[in-house]
Amino acid sequence: MRDLTLILNDWLLAGAGQIGQVLIRRAPSGWELRHLADADRDDLHLQADPVAARHIATLDDAGVFRPLKTAPNLIRGWRLVLRDAGAVRLALDYLYPAMTGVWLSFLNGALVEASLRETLGRQTGMYRVTQRISDSDARTTIDRFCAGCLKQRLWEIDGPNHTPPQLLPPSIPLLCHEACNLLVAEIRKVVKAQTIQ
Amino acid sequence: MLHKPNSALVIVGHGSTVNPDSSAPTFDHAEEIIRRGTFGEVHCCFWKEEPSFRQVFHMIDRDDIYVVPNFISEGYFTRTVVPRELELDGAVTIKGHRTIKYCEPVGNNERMTELLLRRVAEVAPGVDPARTSLFIVGHGTDLNENSAVAAKREVDRIAGMGRFAEVCNAYMEESPLISKWDELSTQPNVVVVPFFISDGLHSYEDIPVLLGIAGESLGAASANAKEVFRRNPYSLRGRNLFYASAIGTERMIADVILDQVAVFDAQRAGTAVV
Repeated sequence: MRDLTLILNDWLLAGAGQIGQVLIRRAPSGWELRHLADADRDDLHLQADPVAARHIATLDDAGVFRPLKTAPNLIRGWRLVLRDAGAVRLALDYLYPAMTGVWLSFLNGALVEASLRETLGRQTGMYRVTQRISDSDARTTIDRFCAGCLKQRLWEIDGPNHTPPQLLPPSIPLLCHEACNLLVAEIRKVVKAQTIQ
Repeated sequence: MLHKPNSALVIVGHGSTVNPDSSAPTFDHAEEIIRRGTFGEVHCCFWKEEPSFRQVFHMIDRDDIYVVPNFISEGYFTRTVVPRELELDGAVTIKGHRTIKYCEPVGNNERMTELLLRRVAEVAPGVDPARTSLFIVGHGTDLNENSAVAAKREVDRIAGMGRFAEVCNAYMEESPLISKWDELSTQPNVVVVPFFISDGLHSYEDIPVLLGIAGESLGAASANAKEVFRRNPYSLRGRNLFYASAIGTERMIADVILDQVAVFDAQRAGTAVV
């Protein structure tokens, strides 16, 4: 059995200091997480429960829901001090869902990317119409929509992204191995708008 | 008592791009199950949020995996979308060294009846059931026909107990319409429970407007959205109306999720489920 907590502990000990907008540092009693932009602040709201990360990740500064956790709008002003790698893993799965596991799969050669056409090709129901998007409209939509996400795309419209992801070890990268439902929904909007025109 | 330290549990939800209360109960139930230590690991995944259906297996360490859909009924999502996105072959899928066990949705569990009764007791404490009309409200469109079936099944079960003067089905978009609650019921007390897996636009806004207890939109994402559940009873059309939040927000859903795993094991073992 794989043990991501144990592996994450190794990553932390090796100095995994950053994931997305989160800074990870050694604390006297474990590990400390805070927003990168709050690196030097000493007036942060301290919490010790990893579940607090869920509520940190829920809304942006304006109180608007963040369905995409890798959007670059994580709120500031908080500090999580967590006792061990297990608690860090749980907190990171709220702040950047699945990203530590996806990174491990990538390192193990077990992360299979899906092209946009593959993702759209299996859609049914209200999203089946997305299969009608042209390559040029898909390109425009990806460039516009994915600009609001910190993940690095491993896929392209018709195959893998041949530009390798930028990896800055020992930091943990945010990797996107296939189009999310938010992008698929955005593509549906584009196709629907063209149908109406 | 269920104890599966060598297994992982995945709770599957729909989620929303606009309303954090859509996924909140699923996260709450997962946290409750983590707190109990029943499973070696517990994860959530969502259609419209993260972690997504396509990401969740990367989060899991263990090879024995139970998947429980936190949906109110069988339907398009549990039969088509979830199996497709999780690449499931059926009730049991073998993928390499992993065994994935696909359980029935939460709403199919017999304990939903118990939860509905509990929710009624919470929302209308001390109110005499013999002088109460209970409405269980489903969505009620062709797309969600199975949720209507599930709501009807609960009405039949509760009516069969003979405790309430009336137990009625009502829907938002098909007959019998919840907007006609005063014509459909005869008792001085009326309790309305939305048969949904989470709170959102329907329970915060649509049903209150149809009931006549809210005149204008508060908005599902509004900080005041939950206020509508805190003003009971409403004196309206000569009745005392009690309005509950969605049944899926009930804390005991965590027990129902675990029960769906136990039901799965019992069915696969060929033993009768009591």
